[in-house]
Amino acid sequence: MQYKLKIAIIGFGRMGITHFSIINSHPSVEIVAVVDTSSTITGLLKKYTNTKSYDDFVKLFENETLDAVIICTPPKLHYPIAMLAAESNVHVFLEKPCTLNEEKARELSNVFDNKKLVNQVGYVNRFNDIFIEVKRLINKCSIGDLISFKSEMYSGTILKSDSGSSWRDSRESGGGATIDMAAHAIDLVNYLIGKPDKITGSNLTKIFSSNVEDAVNATFLYSNGITGTLNVNWSDESYRKPTNKIEIFGSKGKIVADQHGIKIFCKEKFEPENLIKGWNTIYITDIFKSVPFYVRGNEFTSQLYHFIESIIDKQKLNKCTFKDAADTLNVIEQIFEDYKTNGKI
Amino acid sequence: MEKFDRIIFGDNQFFGINHMSQEKAQQLSEKFYNFQAILDVYQIAIDSKIRGIMLNSNDRASEICDHFVFNRSKYPELNWYPSIPYPHKYANLVSEKGIVPTINEILFKDNSAMGILGMITKGTAAVLGKDAVKLMQMLVDLEMKMFKGLNVKVVFLQNIITDLLLGYEVKDIFYEYCEYIRKKYNATPGLITQNMPRLKSKLEDWGIDNVVICSSFNKIGYLMSPNVETYIKSAKNNDSSKYQLMAMSTLASGAINPVEAFKFISRQNIQSVVFGASSKEHIKQSISLLK
Repeated sequence: MQYKLKIAIIGFGRMGITHFSIINSHPSVEIVAVVDTSSTITGLLKKYTNTKSYDDFVKLFENETLDAVIICTPPKLHYPIAMLAAESNVHVFLEKPCTLNEEKARELSNVFDNKKLVNQVGYVNRFNDIFIEVKRLINKCSIGDLISFKSEMYSGTILKSDSGSSWRDSRESGGGATIDMAAHAIDLVNYLIGKPDKITGSNLTKIFSSNVEDAVNATFLYSNGITGTLNVNWSDESYRKPTNKIEIFGSKGKIVADQHGIKIFCKEKFEPENLIKGWNTIYITDIFKSVPFYVRGNEFTSQLYHFIESIIDKQKLNKCTFKDAADTLNVIEQIFEDYKTNGKI
Repeated sequence: MEKFDRIIFGDNQFFGINHMSQEKAQQLSEKFYNFQAILDVYQIAIDSKIRGIMLNSNDRASEICDHFVFNRSKYPELNWYPSIPYPHKYANLVSEKGIVPTINEILFKDNSAMGILGMITKGTAAVLGKDAVKLMQMLVDLEMKMFKGLNVKVVFLQNIITDLLLGYEVKDIFYEYCEYIRKKYNATPGLITQNMPRLKSKLEDWGIDNVVICSSFNKIGYLMSPNVETYIKSAKNNDSSKYQLMAMSTLASGAINPVEAFKFISRQNIQSVVFGASSKEHIKQSISLLK
């Protein structure tokens, strides 16, 4: 019989629930245990799926022989759990934003790279067929040299005042629109355009939350002259679900994209990609790649299957690593620093 | 098993849902912000002899249900095909608070939505007893409240829930859901999925039948896992006395033209088609092509 990778899922919130369902469909995976502090959750899992559980991640590593773990706890626990995993030579998929600061993410990245352990972070947009296509079109020079961009993300996630008790209302726990949501829009910039060299004009705006920002904007500057803006708001009720939008202006045209489609304006026709002069439209229905099992969008399946394939096939280049996440955290820290120094009137 | 409407009118167009384009979704959302605009489209569909309506239990659906209950005499007999729940309502709460507090909030804190003391007692027991079946039944009741007074034929579980549970391979919950819908609502259980072949094969393994399976079905394989070939084969080998197949996303959100799309569908072993459209021209065209 084919060997199955032994996997545990740590943290059973929204992402843990989804990841269990997806990864359980992979023919080369066996979920051996889950970890959560809620006995209701672990009780239900035991009763209906006969999955073993632990209320403490330390006990998990002491008692189980694992190949990999998927970590979806509140972010402040990511670092200690991942470190323990590395000590046990276990590959790790971590939910974004990796850790709470860049330094810790770099440290993790070094440890995992030195031990040749697969390390991946859940910046799921990097597995979205549309954004993969945008990256390909930029690399093909379809819009020429990049000049400027805007990266936006909106959702109706936080729509009322909270008591301030949730982890989402505390930056120390990894809450706030910047760490918890803008991280996706920033990572998309790092993926498509590269990491900015300087951050300026940062604003953090509270709408409903007591202790953290619900909206963030900032300007990104690059030493090669590219400039861009970031605009993120998680208290915008007009959005049915979280939406990323990116607009990139170049010397030969521009690209406007969201998770579902791309519009490209070309100043001249671009034969290598069959693009006409003027507006071209590419829909997700033109370029999607089917996945073996669908739960919440192709990209959620693709990212976890990629993680598994990177463990099985040592030649495969792991995408969206701890190092990539450290770069995103670097930008986030620069935004906080810029706001602290210059953001108040 | 019972036969259902061959052509069913869907609701995505009313709620700003378009899987291909967020711009189109936005335009629809603006157009149907006005409730009368929704009713006008239903009227066109009903005038075109549509008798089956699928409706997801989102916030605006209760307004639609109320209208059809209160104005029953103005319409011919209609068959309703609810789909539950509206997942985004739960998703945000789960991300923010975790599962258990979300369940508590939905079932216990909003007493105006609940109103029935009996349900609360049952719910407390459900959480304490870690009984997912009771919990599922309570959530079904909560979502189904708005459809009271309508002639409900099939109660569909939304794909995000069906597929999530399919990943866990929990036979018990599927079984209990189907039984509950039959007994409590005197309706046929339905499951919406983006993984039709896998779901059907699991249901066969588990001996759960007399179920309507609704899935995307289009020639480009959009929202069809693992792929279009497996769907065609699975439909071809299906015993429709055990599972009725219902196709949705036949136009792949507009990527395929209706003539081509329905020609493809007519060649498949499928019992019903759900379609959505927001103009008289499109509604009439779809119906004439599907007939």
